[in-house]
Order: sequence, then structure tokens, then C-alpha cells
Amino acid sequence: MTATPVGTESALVIAPMLVVLVAAVGTLLLGQRPRARAAVSLAGGAGYAIAVAAIDWYIVLAPDAPGIATYQVGDWPAPFGITLVADGLSAFMLTMVAILGIASLVFSTRHLPGGEGRSYYFPLFHFLALGVTGAFLTGDLFNLFVWFEVMLMASYVFVAYSGGPQHTRAAFWYVTLNLLASAVFLLGVGGIYATTGTLNMADLAQRLADPAAYGLEPVPVVGLLGLLLSVFAIKAGLVPFQFWIPTAYRAAPPQITALLAGATKKVGIYAIIRLSFTIFAGAEIAVDLPLPFLDVAIAGDSPLPFVGAALFVMAAGSILLGGIGAVGRDSMEGVFAYSSIGQVGFIAIPVAIAATAAGPGLRKFAIIAALVYALNHTLAKGLLFLAVGTVRSATGTSRFADLGGLARRSPPLAIAVFVGSLALVGIPPLSGFFGKFLVFDAAARAEAGSVLVLLLVGSLLTIAYATRLWNQSFWGARTDAVEAATVDSVQVAILVALAVAIIAVGIGFEPVYQFAETAAEAALDTEGYVDAVDPQSASELGGSNGGDH
Amino acid sequence: MTGVALAATVGALFALGTFLLLRRDLIRVVWGLAIISQAANVYLLAMGGIAPATADSVPILAGHGDHVPQTADPLVQALVLTAIVIGFGMTAFALVLSYRVYEEHDTLDVTELGDRE
Repeated sequence: MTATPVGTESALVIAPMLVVLVAAVGTLLLGQRPRARAAVSLAGGAGYAIAVAAIDWYIVLAPDAPGIATYQVGDWPAPFGITLVADGLSAFMLTMVAILGIASLVFSTRHLPGGEGRSYYFPLFHFLALGVTGAFLTGDLFNLFVWFEVMLMASYVFVAYSGGPQHTRAAFWYVTLNLLASAVFLLGVGGIYATTGTLNMADLAQRLADPAAYGLEPVPVVGLLGLLLSVFAIKAGLVPFQFWIPTAYRAAPPQITALLAGATKKVGIYAIIRLSFTIFAGAEIAVDLPLPFLDVAIAGDSPLPFVGAALFVMAAGSILLGGIGAVGRDSMEGVFAYSSIGQVGFIAIPVAIAATAAGPGLRKFAIIAALVYALNHTLAKGLLFLAVGTVRSATGTSRFADLGGLARRSPPLAIAVFVGSLALVGIPPLSGFFGKFLVFDAAARAEAGSVLVLLLVGSLLTIAYATRLWNQSFWGARTDAVEAATVDSVQVAILVALAVAIIAVGIGFEPVYQFAETAAEAALDTEGYVDAVDPQSASELGGSNGGDH
Repeated sequence: MTGVALAATVGALFALGTFLLLRRDLIRVVWGLAIISQAANVYLLAMGGIAPATADSVPILAGHGDHVPQTADPLVQALVLTAIVIGFGMTAFALVLSYRVYEEHDTLDVTELGDRE
């Protein structure tokens, strides 16, 4: 093993992980000094944002950027060692997490949720970010499992954080469900290892594309991909795996719920996109599955149509159940939790369209739509959940029965929430407009009439619950709780900043679209991915049997 | 033969785990989870294949000359070790959490927990 110097780009790939790890350990050591702890935490958040921005620019967006960079841990070559990969898709996801993470972090320094474990709040926060970052950057299926666990362990504690009876109960079911999902994840990973003989994603893509050369039978991979898909659907909260969301989101502190909805859900979406399109798309498996009720004929020569069919059903269920559920809730976070289920359906629909798309043009366009919608969801939901936190710390409640007249009490808060709600509904010129527009456009281009109807129904439901929430808590007569409220100005400033970000994305949409396009291209570029991770074996393809250097 | 034995073991462990998971007592639910994660570990080992290894399946040892010891696939062993550590920690956490649930609700009965809103 020769010690090759680590290039700048390679170093950049691990930079965000190192920064959050140092921040996590640092805040752990400073547990007894609240001010130093908050300062280290904020510095860590800023460092993380800088590292992610550097990845965005030097690896993805700069004119002479390579588009993809890898870091081989311990300098072991690709299929044997652990590989970390940063490409357009990872960078896009990391950017969303960085924006929301900073907002949530600053919010947390203003208002730490109560409880016995205050000194563990920031370390856990950073470990959650570490897990999410690792999941976005890993190029190895088993490591994806490990990073999922890192992310989940922190989130378990956060769900139980407040320590009341309903919190511990919610946490118990959340833990149970996710432990089961972890076992299923292991089954999928083990099966894929037995079928293909590798867990490195690039190696996997390569072997599946040319099964004859490696002497493997790709058909079982479809079923194993189904297992993995169900695990990722649990993380993303798609129907029928949505039942944990309302209780867990109500139990966790609001600024963490913003992260759960904005970041960890996106890990599920990311894993679905990465595995389906970059890794498994090349597997040659003849498929013929007519689905007349969805206006889509499922046929092709890869596992993608199965993924598409499953996602269509799950997304349709999510949009309807989430939308209808949100209309009837009696508290702000209840509405947003159910709305979160519905909005993830809006992200999954274009992914499903991409999976069943006839041509590469539509496939790319649909993934762009999914990514833009995901960005909108992260910004808008982040803002709205943080707003729940602001309202709760100001009035002590978030139940509609105790709220009313908030608009007059704090106009900036009301305006920020208004912008966030409109972004969910999809009003121009906000980010939500382009998200919705691209999703509808993708459905129209796929000529899927029933999907268009579904999207329309989902949008109408969004308008219904957003209006109801507005009427119940921001208009009307002031209640006692609102009358006595003291609204924290820094918290409101964070909300306003996020609202400005939503408007800025909408007005300056061109660069955002280009970033999403780069990300979608990276998601579909299996060859580029394999080349970057494992250049040696890629050049050997067709020659030796692989794996015997 | 080992294959059949392993398959039967994995199946029996999953059956037992699922049975415990559906009980009303929270502690049994936790044990069900522990057994299911162990079943997944046994399954992982089985997926590596039990046949003796060659230079192809043990790439790290292949660089050390001709002496490739007869061994099962080391990769799955590494995976299982990681999975055991994670599963062990999570079982401990779930047990502590169920104790806390008991403190808060004075019961470990799933149906009673569900009734109290």
C-alpha cells in the first residue's frame, strides 16, 4: 500500500463529517459550560456550512470542477476499503441539510427545550448531523446501514428528550419500528452480498450491468431492492410506513422535528434515488407489468419499473392520507406532521415517474422535479416547524383551541408562517411554485392523467389545511395565551431569514435549477460514478473476473 | 447440510422473535427485537457462505503470498461484528426506555399504554 498524497478534493469529501464530529465531541466535553457549549456548537455549524459550500463549489459547480470526488478511507482501493463519494446529488442534499441545520442550531441556542439532559442536546444534534452527512457521502451499502444507525440513535434520544409519558411512549414505538427496519436492512444487505459478492456501490453497479462476466444471477436483486425500498420508505415516512410520524414529530422538540422532516426524511429519498438510479438501473432484468389504473405500462429491462410501481402506490397513499389527516388536526405540529407525510408523496411521485420514464430526457427532468420539490419541502417545513417552536415558547401551547390573533401579536412571525404556508401550497414566486410546477409538468410529460388528478387533489388539500391553520391561530380574537405571549425576536429573525430564502429561491430560480440539474445528471451517471470510485476495476471490465487484484 | 441447518435456525429465530414482538408485555417486545436482530446476524453469516475461503474471497490475505488459510468469508464476519455491537447497544437502550415507560405509565402492558391518551 503506497501512501499517496490526499488531494484537496478528497480532503473536502470528509471535511463536513470531520467538522461535525469535532463539534459533537467538543460540545460533549464542554457539557458543564453552557455558553462555551453553544459557541462551539455554532462554530461547528458554521464550519459545516463552509465545508458543504466548498464541496458545492470545488467539486460540483465551479467551471473546472471534476463533478465527483472520492475519499478512500485508509487508502485501501475501492471495492475493499470504505469509500466516501461526493457528487452532485450528495452535494445538493448536503446543501439542504446545511441551510436547515444552521437555522435549527441558532434556534436551539435561543431556546433549549427543557429536560434533564440539556448538556447532551448539542452533542446529539451534531451526531444526528453526522449520521445524515455520512449517509449522503458513503459509497458502501453496509456503511449506509451504519450511518443510518448513527442518525437514528440520536433521533431516538430526541424523541424521548422531553421525558413526559407521551414522549417515552412515542420513543418506544419509534425505536421498535426502526430496530425492525434495521433488521430488514441487514437482510437486504446480506442478500445483495450473497447475490453479487460486493457491497461497494460502484462495484455493485458494475457487476449488475454485466452479470455474465461476474457469473451472477441478477433477478433476486429485484426482491432485495424491494426490502431496501421498504426500509427507506420508513425513513421517508411514505404510506404504509407513515404511522410513526405524527407521534414522533409531536414528541420531539420542534427544532429537531424541523430536522427530522427536513433532513432525515431526505436521507430516505436520497437512498431511494441513489440505489435505484445510480446503482440498480443498469441491471438487466426483463420486466412486463401492466398497470392500467395508473395509466402507466410497467415494462423495461431493469428493476426500475418495480421501484416506480411501488413508489406510485406509496406516494398516492401518502398524498391522500397526509392531506386528509392534516385537515382534521387540532394543533399546529399535528397539521404539519400529517402535511409532511403528504409532501413526501409529492417528492416520491416524480421519482416514480423517473423510474417508469420512457426516455432519458423525461427521467432526468422528473428527478430534477423531485429534487426541487425536496428543497422546497426542506425550507418550508423547516420554517413551519421552527415557527411551532416559536409559538410554543411564546405562548406555551400550539393547540388551535388556545391560539388566535397571532397575526396582530407578532406580524413578522405571521408573515414568515404565511410565506411558508404559501410555499407549501405553491404560489409564485416562491420556491414551492417551481417545485409544484415541475412535478405537474413531469406528470404531464409522462402523460399520466390519473397522477395529475392525484396531484391536484393533494394541492387542494394543502390549501385546505394551510387556510384552516391560518384562520385558527393567526386570525380571530386573541386568546389569553396569545395576550400574555412574549415572542423571542431572534427566533422570529430565523423564521424571517428562512422566508427570505424561500422567496430568494423562487426569484433567483435559474442557478437553483442548474444545481438540481447537475444533481440529477449525477444521479443518472452510473458510469461516471463507477469511474470515480473504482477507476482500476472499471478499466479492467470485461477482462478478468473482478476482485482479484 | 449446513445450509439447511442454518436456514432452519434463521427461520426459527425469526418466528420466535416475531411471536415475542406481538406480545402485550413491553419487555417481551424488546426480547423479540433482540432475537430478530440476532436472526439477521445469523442470516448475514450464512450469506457469506460457509465454504473454505480462497485467495479470491479473502483479498486482504491474498497479498501475503501463497499461504491463504482456510477460513470463512471475513467480510461478513466484520459486518456481523458491527451489527452485533449496534444491536447490543440498541437492546440496552430499548430496555432502559421500557423501564422509563414503566415509571411514567405504571404499566408495561401494550394495550393499557395505547388506551391512555
